[in-house]
Amino acid sequence: MKKLLKALLLPCVLVLLMGADNQEARFQNLGGKIMCTCSCSQMLLKCNHVGCPNSDQMIRELRANVARTKDDEAVLNWFRTKWGVTAVVEPSTHGFELLAWILPAAGIGLGLMLVVVVIRKWKMRPAPVSAADMNLAPDLEALRARARRETEI
Amino acid sequence: MPLLGSFCLLFALALAGYCFVVGVVAAVRKDAIGYRLAETARRAGMASFFAVLVAAGALVYAALTDDFSVAYILHHSNRALPGPYKFAVLWSGQEGSILFWALLLSAYGFVLRLRHKVDQRLVAMASMVLAAIQIFFLILVNFVANPFGIMDRFASDGNGLNPLLQYPEMVIHPPMLYLGYVGVSVPFAFALAALIMRYPGEKWIHITRRWTMVAWLFLTFGISLGAHWAYAVLGWGGYWGWDPVENASLLPWLSTTAFLHSVMMQEKRGMMKVWNVWLIFITFMLSILGTFLTRSGIVSSVHSFAQSSIGNWFSGFLAIIFTVCMVFYVRNRDHLRSENKLESLVSRESSFMFNNLLLLGACFAVLCGTLFPILSELVRDVKMNLGAPFYNKVMVPIGLALIFLTGVGPLLAWRNTSVGSIKRNFAIPATAALVIEIVVGFVLYKNGVRFWTDMGQMYAMMAFCLSTLVVATVTSEFIRGGIVWKNKLQTNLLAGIYQLSRRNMRRYGGYVVHFGVVLVVIGLAGAAFNQDKEQEIGKGDKVQIGSYTLIGEEYTEDDNANYRSQAALLEVYKDGKFLTRLNPEERFFKASGGQPVHIVANHSTLREDLYVVYEGLNPDTDHPIIKIIINPLVNWIWIGVLVIVMGTGMALIPNAAPVSVPVRSAVAVSQMDERGMHPAGAGK
Repeated sequence: MKKLLKALLLPCVLVLLMGADNQEARFQNLGGKIMCTCSCSQMLLKCNHVGCPNSDQMIRELRANVARTKDDEAVLNWFRTKWGVTAVVEPSTHGFELLAWILPAAGIGLGLMLVVVVIRKWKMRPAPVSAADMNLAPDLEALRARARRETEI
Repeated sequence: MPLLGSFCLLFALALAGYCFVVGVVAAVRKDAIGYRLAETARRAGMASFFAVLVAAGALVYAALTDDFSVAYILHHSNRALPGPYKFAVLWSGQEGSILFWALLLSAYGFVLRLRHKVDQRLVAMASMVLAAIQIFFLILVNFVANPFGIMDRFASDGNGLNPLLQYPEMVIHPPMLYLGYVGVSVPFAFALAALIMRYPGEKWIHITRRWTMVAWLFLTFGISLGAHWAYAVLGWGGYWGWDPVENASLLPWLSTTAFLHSVMMQEKRGMMKVWNVWLIFITFMLSILGTFLTRSGIVSSVHSFAQSSIGNWFSGFLAIIFTVCMVFYVRNRDHLRSENKLESLVSRESSFMFNNLLLLGACFAVLCGTLFPILSELVRDVKMNLGAPFYNKVMVPIGLALIFLTGVGPLLAWRNTSVGSIKRNFAIPATAALVIEIVVGFVLYKNGVRFWTDMGQMYAMMAFCLSTLVVATVTSEFIRGGIVWKNKLQTNLLAGIYQLSRRNMRRYGGYVVHFGVVLVVIGLAGAAFNQDKEQEIGKGDKVQIGSYTLIGEEYTEDDNANYRSQAALLEVYKDGKFLTRLNPEERFFKASGGQPVHIVANHSTLREDLYVVYEGLNPDTDHPIIKIIINPLVNWIWIGVLVIVMGTGMALIPNAAPVSVPVRSAVAVSQMDERGMHPAGAGK
């Protein structure tokens, strides 16, 4: 079981460790996390609003920040400070915004615990005595099994 | 006409009120008089449909005849609006869309009451629950958001329909979505009725199964039409933006999908009764929440077509629904005791439980993200919207796990699955998945795609692998069953598969749906390989993207009664050979103060879409700015949706009568069992 878990965990960790590290990929990635503040409700790099008063400047600032630092979170924080917290649509991983990441994980974790508890409860419950548990001749049992399968809706 | 409409709405409210009150009296009396009263209640409920139908007809007539004395028509239509869009005026504003909801609800109620002989007592109770919901919507449409309000001054023309809604799909998308939202009311009514009555057995499940599938089908179709509309009209190159209103439609879809799976546990094994009842309650509440989010304006959305303070009514209604459901659950919960226990973690039952966990987990994650701006405003006084990056990070892993379960679930037997059976059943699908993964990886590498450097592309590769697993599983299920029928009927494999499917339409229709889901997933995964470019293109200018070359040929301007437009004509070459001409356009609708709408030019193939958007004229150079996006595999999404629709249609068809085949011998039968063959009907 442990081996199986390790085998499953290894690719997950590898996948999580992989990521874009070149500047253009980082620019594209971060541009998809920042919203244009001209009230067009579009992501910065998707804003197709000709004559937009903000997007050109924001894109220039994004390029400059990506070149300045390798810390993506620092770039996003820079935009949060300059353009307001609503400019970044990916919540940060600290403070109040951390809640956005925790809530879904906690919900699923709680659900998983509930499923495990239910399964354990069911497994501990004595099984009702059914016709299936009665001793039948092997050939009759085979026919019965087949009939059960074929008549199932 | 407005007078007739108003009268009909009041009359419909009276009829629904009668249906509910007399229905309650009849349920309490339980004698001959009670029976007759129940019959009058049923007929009143049916009549309410005709009353609402006439009211809706009156509103459509007012739109078609440009009756701008009606405030709703003045605000949502104009003389130059083309005919089909005048019909769509019915659901384009708040008052009309609530009337439309009431109309669909009464239509569902009409069919339900018409088919009362299926189980008169249960239908009578369900009809009463539906009447209660009808009362809420009819109160709204009569006293809070009346679509027949009269203007106090004359207007020669209206304000026009929102330009974003002036697109052919928008005539179909909202009705489909509403049919889904409202359709959920029927299983909800049956579930609540069965709980109130402590109705024995699983009959309510059998009755509502088709209703639920129909509602799910409409939701699926409605959501995908909305996605296609966003892709074709909004001009940002995507089809799903995780907008709060989009999310609101996804929430009941996810919970209905969970219900359609978990309900099988109750049918086959008498398990998960509490879960199923609450799933359908939650689904109905989520469909009301969806309307609340759309109408209240509590979260900012590009779908802000119809916002007002009506949200308070919906939140009150939600509180009432929750209280009623909770009261009857607490009173009658002993009635929902499970009849069987889970025998093994490796079984079909447990796969359904995990499937439900993931679907509900996805639903919860979307709900958290959608309501987060409200929480953020309460705590920090700032409405922080969560965008696609958040949802993609949270939802993609959940989606991949779901696809994995879709592949694995059908290979597991009910009650218990042996290790030998797992090895036998998984060998071919798992090998196929690995082979395809290696081939796709190699092809991408040869084309210069270093997918291991990009998280999105890695996820896409996983999606391709798991999709292959599902396709192999589904195919092996058809082939194994088909071979059994082929041998039984001494026919060919195709005929065997046909016979197999006809004898268990629900199961094999379900597999076709899974196949459609896989196609959609492959299409979604294609987004990880998008390319885009934005450039000013003067006459004769060239732009290169991927293997395509686009050359500016001509620029035109047009003007008609409804809008003025600017368009570009571009020649497209692929690998140096002429491919096609594309004509992206931008329209400025006059009645809406010149609001712009993009008419995207799209050259679509199975491999990729060449998506071209006219973004406008550069005021400095007077040259058009064109955005070009290569969207790989997008067509697979739309084809997948059609396959899902087909599979659901298949699952709705009743099974063919069983074929009597002489039993060869007990020995032969037991040998067949040992080989793990599953004759037709061995079912889900």
